Amino acid sequence: MARVELEKVFKRYGSFETVHGIDLAIKDNEFVVLVGPSGCGKSTILRMIAGLEEISDGTMRIGDRVVNDIDPKSRNVAMVFQNYALYPHKNVFDNMGFSLKMAGLSRNEIKEKVEQAAKVLELTPYLDRKPAALSGGQRQRVAMGRAIVRDPDVFLFDEPLSNLDAQLRTQMRMELKKLHIKMKTTTIYVTHDQVEAMTLADRIVVIKDGTIHQVGTPIEVFEKPKTVFVAKFIGNPPTNIMAGQVAEQGGAKGILCENGMFLPFPHETALEIGRKVLAGIRPDAIAAEEAVNKFSPAWQYDVQVLFSEIVGGQSLLEFDINGTSMVAELDGRHKVDPGTTLKLGFDLDRLFVFDPETNLALDW
Amino acid sequence: MRTVSKDRILAGVTLLPSILLVGIFVYGFIGNTFWTSLTDWGGVGALSENPEKNYVGFYNYKDLFVGFLSSGFRQDLVNAIFYSVFLLIGAIGVGLFIAILLDNKPKAEGFFRTVFLYPMSLSFIVTGTIWRWLLAPSGGVNVLPTYVGAEPFNFRWLSSTQSILQFDWQNILSFAFNVISIVLIVIGLWLLGKRSKHAAKWLVAGIVIGILVYLFGDMLPKALIMEEKHGFNLATTGIILATIWQYSGYTMALYLAGFTGISQDLRDAAMLDGASTFNYYRHIAIPLIQPITISAIIILSHISLKMFDLIFAMTGPDNGQTGHPALNMYLTTFRANDFARGAAIAMLLFFLAALFIIPYLISSYRNKDERA
Amino acid sequence: MKKLTLLLTSALAALGLTLGASAYAADQKNELEIFSWWAGDEGPALEALIKLYNEKYPDTKLINATVTGGSGVNAKAVLKTRMLGGEPPDSFQVHAGQELIGTWVKSDRMEDLTPLFDEQGWKDIFPEGLVSLIGTDKGIWSVPVNIHRSNDIWFIPKNLEKWGIEAPKTWDEFLAVAPKLKEQGVVPLSMGQNWTANHLWESVALASLGAEKWESLWSGDLKFNSPEGVAAWDLFGKILQYTNDDFSSLSWQQATDMVVDGRAAFNIMGDWAAGYLNTTKKLEPNTGFGWLPSPGTSGNFIFLADSFGLPKGAVHRENALNWLALLGSKEGSDAFNPLKGSISPRKDSDLSKYNKYAESAAADFARDTIVGSLAHGVVANEGFMNDFASVMETFLKTRDSKVAAELAQQIATKNKIGQ
Repeated sequence: MARVELEKVFKRYGSFETVHGIDLAIKDNEFVVLVGPSGCGKSTILRMIAGLEEISDGTMRIGDRVVNDIDPKSRNVAMVFQNYALYPHKNVFDNMGFSLKMAGLSRNEIKEKVEQAAKVLELTPYLDRKPAALSGGQRQRVAMGRAIVRDPDVFLFDEPLSNLDAQLRTQMRMELKKLHIKMKTTTIYVTHDQVEAMTLADRIVVIKDGTIHQVGTPIEVFEKPKTVFVAKFIGNPPTNIMAGQVAEQGGAKGILCENGMFLPFPHETALEIGRKVLAGIRPDAIAAEEAVNKFSPAWQYDVQVLFSEIVGGQSLLEFDINGTSMVAELDGRHKVDPGTTLKLGFDLDRLFVFDPETNLALDW
Repeated sequence: MRTVSKDRILAGVTLLPSILLVGIFVYGFIGNTFWTSLTDWGGVGALSENPEKNYVGFYNYKDLFVGFLSSGFRQDLVNAIFYSVFLLIGAIGVGLFIAILLDNKPKAEGFFRTVFLYPMSLSFIVTGTIWRWLLAPSGGVNVLPTYVGAEPFNFRWLSSTQSILQFDWQNILSFAFNVISIVLIVIGLWLLGKRSKHAAKWLVAGIVIGILVYLFGDMLPKALIMEEKHGFNLATTGIILATIWQYSGYTMALYLAGFTGISQDLRDAAMLDGASTFNYYRHIAIPLIQPITISAIIILSHISLKMFDLIFAMTGPDNGQTGHPALNMYLTTFRANDFARGAAIAMLLFFLAALFIIPYLISSYRNKDERA
Repeated sequence: MKKLTLLLTSALAALGLTLGASAYAADQKNELEIFSWWAGDEGPALEALIKLYNEKYPDTKLINATVTGGSGVNAKAVLKTRMLGGEPPDSFQVHAGQELIGTWVKSDRMEDLTPLFDEQGWKDIFPEGLVSLIGTDKGIWSVPVNIHRSNDIWFIPKNLEKWGIEAPKTWDEFLAVAPKLKEQGVVPLSMGQNWTANHLWESVALASLGAEKWESLWSGDLKFNSPEGVAAWDLFGKILQYTNDDFSSLSWQQATDMVVDGRAAFNIMGDWAAGYLNTTKKLEPNTGFGWLPSPGTSGNFIFLADSFGLPKGAVHRENALNWLALLGSKEGSDAFNPLKGSISPRKDSDLSKYNKYAESAAADFARDTIVGSLAHGVVANEGFMNDFASVMETFLKTRDSKVAAELAQQIATKNKIGQ
């Protein structure tokens, strides 16, 4: 059980810097997900926490210890790899017991701990098997078993579910969450899959190009993205972003988009007229048909449908508004022919406003 | 009429020449050698246009093992076994060690890799000549200590007449049974460690044979009428050293390729599991590349069983201290014109090599079946 | 089906080509192929003969097939496979004596050269003892090119002076001075690898037995395990005590070097050592280096000779006969031997062309009792020589005279010595 703290942590390969001085404090027992596109440095950060990569600059603490110069094996962290990294020549029992053997535990102690972990993970019937004789899900569980037998201070997961099929992925995701609730071990989880991030995390850390864009609960990053990138990266389909400037129309202050669309602010704001901004609206903040009537007429727009598709109980609608195409995620099944003109309501209470220069969310 | 696909016929026709060639030039010749070894082709008149060849059964083999005049061959055989064992240990040990050093990515790794691999590109004659100089009684290696002010070594790398680990060939039968008993017990203990069900079988068999030999060993027939000691001739050390020098680069390359093929994740996982570098290699990397060790053993044992040129270059023919059955075969056949006996030695070498390779083939076929 | 037949026939044709290539018939061009292991140091001497041949027979293309290494072991192996394969060279080098007779004459592979000897009058020109050793009652089988002496003891006069000793004339004398040399840290007698031990043995055995009994060993009249045979091994064992213990890793040159460097007092080696001392070590005969017949063998000349024979089935028989005639001629002999460092087998050779050592050797050859060498294939067949090497190894290991003598007799019986 331990906190993990990163202070101004850098990673450089020669003159090439991949992690640019990040600060991150992970609380004891917390489940934190590092999420970002491939190559953003999230795995590097994880490997630095594990001790598999050296820290070029900055300080890293696990518990109260500065671990910058401490070997991986002395950090008491366990890691589950994307490809599981099971030892192919060892059976399940020996895979799970290897760390205990290295720690010098007696045969009986190892047996006890491995069998206990196997029970939790329902691996007992497979203890004699080699990894090659296991299914993907079983291998995944062995990898987890290998991590939990050691009772580490911190669990590290490096995209552990990405090699599983969709169904199994969902199942394992839930098992993982249950396991965390039971074990209460500090967990750092790396993924590029925002669904995993949203469902698993106590807090999400959104990373791009070696810098942290936002740290917050899943709801916070979804509803209050701090950068354009977060707004676009979290949520599927991504947030619709339009360039425009603050203007007054019909006595109301709002954003006049470049396509002529006017988005009135839902509340008072100090943003001066003429300021250039980026407006963001999540697809699920757009309603159609009778739900439109919840909104004032100022929040309703006529659009031309480009394409529609039904996804289970929901529909995705791609539409054109004054030459800009946007996406809406609608409740219910809406099959609309392309070319149809439709009235949509925009929930401007959930409007995001960003500075076009810095791409940061504006305080408004 | 059963229809055979055209593809099959074509495949058969394409393979036919090589099957015929291999059949004649490899297996046919092995068969012919075996037949020759069962005759008395040799001695005066051996090179006549139609030499006299009479079938004598396994006389040549029997004579090699128990004949009064064949002690030279027997020492050569013992030499070859010691030579193989030490070469295997040495070349695999040194190769593995260098491979581990290079696997940890020192600077100029590529340069060192070439340096260590280079000796393999030399011919044995060159290696033999170089090492004969280096191991000369009062030069090369022996004078090394004088550079740091110490006394020079006095070891006769290639001309020592000492012999250790001697045993009496007269008792070869009871000796062989003892070896079998020890091997069975060792396998049994090993299986016991692995908690295999079959451990007991091996152990019991080994112990029973051991006890029988201990109790009734004296009743086994003696191989010879008189004592004949054979052992590990220290003069072979120099040849072993040169061969290790030549081949450890090769085993290094094999191992390095194996190590490089192991995913970095596995190494990371082992590190996180608390393994030191040593433990990583001992428990993870080396067991993982066991197939490489096996191929190295097979290749090196073949080389050691066929070794000829290196010994010829280093200590010459007719050197009883460093003799080798392959040299003996050559001289017996082409100098003494004793073709039948030479063929018998050749067949024995062939069987020895088969001892190494057949278990390997069986196990690799089995693995294939398991996987299929 | 047509396609299939085509494929099948082409596959068989490919196979046939491969098999047929080796059976490529030797052509009838005007060529002569001679086969030897003379290259390196001996190369120039052979070249001189080839040059002479080319001058005499400019229309014949001479092919010089040499296989080097292993003092002829490799060449002999290649020769044997060629002969077994029915592809004999036109003429090949072979040690005169039993090495030729035991291997090739007994196998009925050689042509009798008596007509050539008669035609050239060689029976009177070569010493009678020599002719009888290279022939059998059925014929004469090769033309000797050179004569080497095996029983010479070599030393550096200056060194002997320094140590205050004289070159021994008998083994008793040697055994008397040897301990003194040993005390001074000098190896009394240097020796090299296995074959040089055989070489030493024949000098010792001749000294112990005398020429007559030496001959009867090889005629089968005297057993190797007789008291005299054992006594020869006894003497050999005593002498071995005074040799260097690293002998098995030394070449004969290195053993000779020990004498030159003053690390050893004496070395017994054939007279090719004279060439080595003179040419390579730049020592003058008599003053720089000295020699005597090996102890106890003065008046005896252990000879060995290289010779060329005519295999049955030689493709260019006439050319080969021309070659053999040239070898035995005075002109050929005197062109070859001064370069090779050997003496001519002819009694009428022009001694002015030879060096000082050769002069003395030639004088001895004309005067001494001539006996054949064991180590160099004159008196015993190849089977015996091969087995004797391992008897020697056994003796070097056990130093047991009785066992060695017993083994020697067994291999003599096995290899039909004297039969």
